[in-house]
Amino acid sequence: MGLLILRRLVATIPVLLLVTAGVFALIHLTPGDPIDAMMAESVDDSVKRELRQTLGLDRPLHLQYATWMGRLLRGDLGRSIRNQEPVIENVARRIKPSLQLAGLAMAISLLVATPIGILSAARRNSTLDRFGTSFALFGICMPNFLIALLLIFLFGVTLRWLPISGYVDPMEELWDGLRSLALPAITLGLALAAVITRTLRSSMLEALSEDYIRTARAKGLSDGAVIRRHALKNALIPVVTVLGLQLGTLIGGAVITEYVFALPGVGRLVVDAVFARDYPLVQGVVLLIAVGFILSNLMVDLLYGWIDPRIRHR
Amino acid sequence: MATIVAAPASSRSVRERRWRILRRAARARLAPFGAAVMLLAVTVALLAPVVAPYNPLKQNLDRTLSRPDRVHLLGTDNVGRDVLSRVIFGTRVSLAAGFGSVVIAVLAGGLLGLLAGYAGGRVDGLVMRMMDAVLSFPPLVLALALGAVLGAGLTGVVIALAVVYTPTFARLMRGQVLTITAREYVDAARALGAPGWRIAWTHVLPNATAPIVVQASLSVAFAILAEASLSFLGLGIQPPAASWGSMINAGRGYLQQAPWIVFGPGAALFITVVGLNFVGDAVRDALDPRLRA
Repeated sequence: MGLLILRRLVATIPVLLLVTAGVFALIHLTPGDPIDAMMAESVDDSVKRELRQTLGLDRPLHLQYATWMGRLLRGDLGRSIRNQEPVIENVARRIKPSLQLAGLAMAISLLVATPIGILSAARRNSTLDRFGTSFALFGICMPNFLIALLLIFLFGVTLRWLPISGYVDPMEELWDGLRSLALPAITLGLALAAVITRTLRSSMLEALSEDYIRTARAKGLSDGAVIRRHALKNALIPVVTVLGLQLGTLIGGAVITEYVFALPGVGRLVVDAVFARDYPLVQGVVLLIAVGFILSNLMVDLLYGWIDPRIRHR
Repeated sequence: MATIVAAPASSRSVRERRWRILRRAARARLAPFGAAVMLLAVTVALLAPVVAPYNPLKQNLDRTLSRPDRVHLLGTDNVGRDVLSRVIFGTRVSLAAGFGSVVIAVLAGGLLGLLAGYAGGRVDGLVMRMMDAVLSFPPLVLALALGAVLGAGLTGVVIALAVVYTPTFARLMRGQVLTITAREYVDAARALGAPGWRIAWTHVLPNATAPIVVQASLSVAFAILAEASLSFLGLGIQPPAASWGSMINAGRGYLQQAPWIVFGPGAALFITVVGLNFVGDAVRDALDPRLRA
């Protein structure tokens, strides 16, 4: 296992290098002068000159990259040009709501998708199955922001059960915190649940047609025991794959969800940085998100090895 | 003589094969609905100035936030613009972004995949690591960052989405090239002295198109969703021009007084994406070799 982790880590190095090059190039893709894009026309030339020097944009490109990479290796991701704070501190302040949102959304999606996926497959072509497949289609075709607005309309505006914006830390005030995260987590969780339902249904159908299921049934096991002990365990492998593949969608969805519900998370930070044209902050946060995404995918890869020994021994 | 006889026979067999594929696609239960939605969306987009009942930019401050009625079928927005007319014009933006970005991604990805699969070695390694690097970014975050530096507007969004989708097609094409170039008929063509470009053009490309078409048909729906998301965040086509995402964002402030501002473009977006998904599924069922008789 140790060797597998090491091999995987080494394999990510060239990709990480290319990712850093891509993020570095971002600022240079701006049509025209990036300083003009970042600052209003009315800003004094001396201020612009100073920012150009601070960001090193007055130097040759290869030197800029070398300096930027040098800083990066020392853990310096740059500073926001708006609040002058280091990118790391900006992200550190915003990471908690994002992680809480992702965790809750993941929990909701599994709670919703597992029974629907299993029952859809076990009662194929029944009304329940049609409901399950329609739910999956609805969730996949419905953009996050539309689900969010429907939930706001129903639970926030019409029924007035839940707050429609703002954030309270559940670690400090559990009930209010959970209420503030409820709608965003349901929004994000439903989209993910749709994908998991679809995958679980098809992998369960495949598992239920296997010979070992027939054998289990021939032994006289009940339907519940066959599904729980034999089919579900094997059907979960593709679900882990899909969870890994959906990480990117989950992060993208979190950006939208945090924006709609005014949650002070990392997703909202990206959107704010984009609209403030705070390119150093955009670069830093995008790089951190990409590295986090690569490492999460690596963890999912390693998880396969743990779940399915056939992969470990390959 | 042989050529004269062979030509019509081969064109007939190609026609028959196409007809079989089309019939197989139409057999998918929900394909007719998907095809009807797609046809309607394309027609509405092309004939927008003719079918829209009002000018989508014209404000009428005497009729702001008015409910859907006979005069304004989907109601009006906060400055009295007709929501239906704006939804109709928004179809143009959504389809242009969806199809435009996927066409660019197919061309760029196809070319890069062909290059990587055909050249092999270092070129293959470099191209595919670059594609891996692009895939290392969550798609929406990458599109957002690219859209930010390229500037708000349809062009920026189309380019950003094309970059996001290119690696998928590059990987697919490379895989196809590697499979097809290992086949015996390619060996035979090589033995006959056919140059590399001709083998790529006459043998590899025609045989690699099926999975590319399947992926492209499924990607259009997601590209439309992504464009709507970027427009919702304010990066797409700029106001006062209409796009579904920006209309929904503008309407969320009036959810209590005038929910129709959100529901009109929301329903259009949802129905279009569902329809395109059905078409994509039907195309996949028709072209997937595993399902062929």
